[in-house]
Amino acid sequence: MTAGTAGERTAPTPEPVAVPGPPLPAGRPARPVRRREARVGLLFVAPMLLLFVVFRFGPTIGAAFLSLTDYRLSGDWRFIGAENYARLLQDDLFWSSLGVTALYTLFFVPLTVGLSLGTALLLHRTVWLRGFFRGVFFLPYVTSIVLAAVIWKWIYDVEDGLLNAVLGVLSLGPVDFLGDERLVLPAIAATSAWKGFGYSMLILLAGLQSIPREVTEAAVIDGATGWRRLRWVTLPLLRPVLFFVLVIEAIGAFQVFDAMYVMTAGGPVRASYPLVYFLYDTGFKFFDFGYASALGLVLFLVVLVFSLIQRRLIGRDE
Amino acid sequence: MARLRLPVLLVLVALVTMTPFAVMVLVAFAPPGGRTLPGAFDLTRATWENFSAVLSGADVTRWAANSLVYSLVSVVLILLFSSMAGYAFAKKRFPGREVLFWSFLATLMVPFQATLIPYFVLVSRLGGVDTYWGLIVPTLANSQAVFLMRQFIAQLPDELFEAAKIDGASEWRIYTTVVLPLITPVLATLGVFVFLWHWNDFLWPLVIGQSSAMRTLTVGLATLEGENVAVNQVMAGATITVLPCLLVFGLLQRYLTDSIATTGLKS
Repeated sequence: MTAGTAGERTAPTPEPVAVPGPPLPAGRPARPVRRREARVGLLFVAPMLLLFVVFRFGPTIGAAFLSLTDYRLSGDWRFIGAENYARLLQDDLFWSSLGVTALYTLFFVPLTVGLSLGTALLLHRTVWLRGFFRGVFFLPYVTSIVLAAVIWKWIYDVEDGLLNAVLGVLSLGPVDFLGDERLVLPAIAATSAWKGFGYSMLILLAGLQSIPREVTEAAVIDGATGWRRLRWVTLPLLRPVLFFVLVIEAIGAFQVFDAMYVMTAGGPVRASYPLVYFLYDTGFKFFDFGYASALGLVLFLVVLVFSLIQRRLIGRDE
Repeated sequence: MARLRLPVLLVLVALVTMTPFAVMVLVAFAPPGGRTLPGAFDLTRATWENFSAVLSGADVTRWAANSLVYSLVSVVLILLFSSMAGYAFAKKRFPGREVLFWSFLATLMVPFQATLIPYFVLVSRLGGVDTYWGLIVPTLANSQAVFLMRQFIAQLPDELFEAAKIDGASEWRIYTTVVLPLITPVLATLGVFVFLWHWNDFLWPLVIGQSSAMRTLTVGLATLEGENVAVNQVMAGATITVLPCLLVFGLLQRYLTDSIATTGLKS
């Protein structure tokens, strides 16, 4: 953080002479050159800086402000203080959407991390065609969640779908996966896990490959094989990577929307109506922008808590 | 037996992973009408009918063109602006450099959905609803791109730039003739990711493109699903949607998987 003292200014200034910067290496020409360097630096950052000020910093501050107003589509607004937040606490739909999101996260995270870890372990022990299989497992990740949702909606179809056809052969079912309040969230979680597990698999595989060979070989000499080696040697060494993956997936799960939008429209009876869906409807169906912004802030806080937990855990581990 | 267990398990999991893609293609080529199964598995009856139906029934070609514009323009502009910013952050000293860089990174902590409303309010007040610039410009502020560029350029030795400077090259010349050629690998990797993120993007194109003519293919596919279009046609549309992803994947699989393992890029 050498330039920390110089960090107070953010706007480009033509004459940044008075700003103390990092010490110059001996023998370098002094101020005019540095002034020129600063100007060039700011010019090169300028396009991205402008984009960030207008489309990132602005909306972030705007979200906090909007959440304290009653803002309508027409652009009419009035300041109402914490009223949106008070309303939120009384809103059954808010609590049910928060509950659905939490429950979905509880289904999704173990499922996707389990799949990622399982496939990463399989690949790690494979020599034969490893690149090919890694590609196969990674393929769903490069597609969209909308695509996954469209395909899986048909797979789950109660009359015509693949899964019920298979169950039919076994003389089971039919099961209405997306129409059953208890099955709908696990079914959607499975869809998202299929689409996304390739990412965490690659992270975990890189983690496995960074475990020094001597450690595992020593464990083998000590007689630890198979499950015991995994439980007592591999997994403890993989812990920081596992934490990272768990938190990343949990953060992703809390923002779930696309899959429900395509597969169930939030049903049956709001059993798959998560927080972001509620935010979307509040904003773009009822045009209640102030209230929707308050919901956005709740989402931000939840994600922030996850990130802080992650920093804590990973910080402690290293 | 124990030696066979691993490959057998691997092949089984791979088959299950591929099944959704396989059934998508089978249903897309199955004759329309009646029950989809088990007729979809009869390859002798395969037909292009669903593709021509979905292409003539909906604005699919228009949506595909929109998706291409959205993805390709974003790739070019993000690569340009983020490599410029990355060069400045890595090699130029200017007031506020560290604070700026870290505040760019801090925006990663704010989920897009949390600021969706002010984002939309801002763009709609600027007249960007249902326009290409409204779709593209707000998505260009990409902190992962800036971060990756800075990290990569910081590793390049200063002497490379000093030599060009002594020869009297202008800063813009140094950027185009020295920096850009040196960072080609990272430009390629990042370009592929940005392409996929935008091609697969859903929520922002959904709220900003309000007429059918401004939909992207991914949004269009979701609306097909919602409009009671026959399942064979939806799957034909899905197959069209996934083709560019498969193409990119087929060509650059190694690039993609290696760079996730080393940089952790994520949409």
